Amino acid sequence: MNEIKKTYKNYVGGKYLRSESGKTFRIALKSEFYEVPLTSRKDVRDAVVAAKKGFTEWQKLTPYNRTQVLYRLSEMLEGNIETYQQILEDSGLSKSKAKEDTKQALDSLIWYAGIADKWEQMTGNLNPVAGEYFNISHQESLGIVFTLNSDENSLNQLLLNILPSLVTGCSVISFNGDNSIMALKLAEDINNSDLPAGALNILSGKFDQIIDDVSNHVEINAMAIYKQLPSTDKKIIRENASKSLKRIFINPPVSGLESLLPFIETKTVWHPKGR
Amino acid sequence: MNTWEYAESIESSSIVSIEKKYGIFFDGQFQSPNSKKYLKTISPSTEEVLSSVALGNKSDIDSAVESAKSGLKVWSKLSGTQRAKYLFKLARLIQERSREFAVLESLDGGKPIKESRDFDLPQVAANFFYFAGWADKLDISWNTKGLKPYGIVGQIIPWNFPLLMLSWKVAPALATGNVVILKPAESTPLTALLFAELCQEVGLPPGVFNLVTGDGTTGAALVQHPDVSKIAFTGSTAVGKYIQNETADRDIGLTLELGGKAANIVFNDAAIDQAVEGVVNGIFFNQGHVCCAGSRLVLQEDIHDEFVSKLEKRMQSLRVGNPLDKNTDIGAINSKEQLDKISSLVNEGIAEGGSIFQTDCDLPTDGYWFRPTLFTNAQPSYKISREEIFGPVLTTLTFRTPEEAIEISNNTEYGLSAGIWTEKGSKILWAADRLQAGVIWANTFNKFDPSSPFGGYKESGFGREGGRHGLLSYLKVQS
Repeated sequence: MNEIKKTYKNYVGGKYLRSESGKTFRIALKSEFYEVPLTSRKDVRDAVVAAKKGFTEWQKLTPYNRTQVLYRLSEMLEGNIETYQQILEDSGLSKSKAKEDTKQALDSLIWYAGIADKWEQMTGNLNPVAGEYFNISHQESLGIVFTLNSDENSLNQLLLNILPSLVTGCSVISFNGDNSIMALKLAEDINNSDLPAGALNILSGKFDQIIDDVSNHVEINAMAIYKQLPSTDKKIIRENASKSLKRIFINPPVSGLESLLPFIETKTVWHPKGR
Repeated sequence: MNTWEYAESIESSSIVSIEKKYGIFFDGQFQSPNSKKYLKTISPSTEEVLSSVALGNKSDIDSAVESAKSGLKVWSKLSGTQRAKYLFKLARLIQERSREFAVLESLDGGKPIKESRDFDLPQVAANFFYFAGWADKLDISWNTKGLKPYGIVGQIIPWNFPLLMLSWKVAPALATGNVVILKPAESTPLTALLFAELCQEVGLPPGVFNLVTGDGTTGAALVQHPDVSKIAFTGSTAVGKYIQNETADRDIGLTLELGGKAANIVFNDAAIDQAVEGVVNGIFFNQGHVCCAGSRLVLQEDIHDEFVSKLEKRMQSLRVGNPLDKNTDIGAINSKEQLDKISSLVNEGIAEGGSIFQTDCDLPTDGYWFRPTLFTNAQPSYKISREEIFGPVLTTLTFRTPEEAIEISNNTEYGLSAGIWTEKGSKILWAADRLQAGVIWANTFNKFDPSSPFGGYKESGFGREGGRHGLLSYLKVQS
């Protein structure tokens, strides 16, 4: 047991916050209980406000800058790699499995960092229209994305749930359940990696308590569900989403270029050619 | 104040033969509907009844789904190249019979023959040609693994470009290895029925293309069918929301191409005469029955008076009348219902305080018609500035700074298209980056091409049609 027990908090708009409700829920690691924030409906709305600001700031960075910020996150992560391994072990992984997972997590991070300034070259193109026009399809970020992360005891999975939307320039509200300690720990390295405040927000809680608020919130442009949900929950999400045509992605791909595709909007621009 | 009188030049309708009654099309055959019910389809320019078409019900959708299942067994075993050959053949047949299709489209839908002949039909053929060529290249279309067709695709299309919307939907769906159940619009089913005959002619395997005519209830039955694994819809935002809600309990694919209220921004450094021409084309093309129509003229304040005066003069030269007259610029409003909707929104615009200009022209006594209309002195809060009118009605808003132009333009739930008129290249790119719309036309408007992706941001829907990006609307991406 540590001598000083750590209090994990939500990470919203670049700040560590308790739930405004004052409520927590308990996560047990091997030798210690942790009381983590039980995100309230108001906390979700506050996170959206932060994510809106974060979106503007994250968008201001060039893709080259975004690559460097994410690479910086990998530097931070590597410096604390033993802490993550300890959390994984305390949550039930063997030492070797924990080591393997953090190694994969770093590799995933490096892969996504490096694609921030490349993906648009793979998803956009000139269109050979029949006529004297310059016509190009390029991509923009969808906006504010809510991710419901997998409960798997894995740093790698956590990053694979967050990075696809983040790397496309979306701002992310990342919601965690059983894996909250890992996610809230990650927030500390995110805070040290020059990511603009609000671009990535980390919340912990019980999804069924906020499902309506998230899926009804018109300023959340998309929801990506990386967890297995009962069909009743999926129905609630999609019904609420239909009020504002929110984009809903249930168990989207978690690797490769295809993992980015849900989070982009294609914009096609025409201009005549002439003298 | 017509400067020039035009002699009539009527395209003969003798090239089309319309049956008295049409059934639904499945298993490669026209068959009587289980519903035993029919709808009349009329010509909106004369109100004459053209034919009766089946009013398909749930049981008819069931038949079409069974047909599609057997069609899928055959279609999924063909190679991409074999699928391509069918689509190339369809493209050729459409070209060969394009005059017949064009006349039928103008009769049933009311659009000018000039447009159905020179725009709709060439684009229809082009879409089949374009997607035919993708059928055997899907594996190299995207840098992703595991692209798979959905299977049975339900497609619901609108009445503004009946055959063109069919081609936007059917060509990519078949190229990617899906089979189709198509529900055409209630008021414009005839060209889709003629297309079904073409499918027979090219020997498309039975069940690959299925067609159920009808009304909204028919569409709802298609949307609700549990064996349909993908819905592609073009139409109103309200119906798009209904479809997303209605399919909430199923893991299906959805592409929605919905409404718009596009801003057409004219900066004071634009080539004014070209911009006037583009603004006219942007709103009066196809009677303004265009989801991406440039229905908000966003005009820099210091050129307002000059621009509006030129615009009114140009509008006055638009010829409204018989769709089959080759001189006609603006044909009939598609239906009585749509005419009432346009009239009511225009009346509200007047009541709210907008200044209205309508051209001075004679309208035929029968049929549904609306004069080209321009509102000035409008506020962004007016209904005519916010709601999709889907008719030949343009609303003018003004701005002082480029930033304000962007703010006004993006101040809508829609995000389908936008126009930019300026001679300054850097301003075009600056504005294009900031406009929230899926298609941006700079110094042009209403241009379309099968290779060019089309589709909206925000409440204009999701997914793209056309181009390499359009393939993803019909392929599941698996990790």
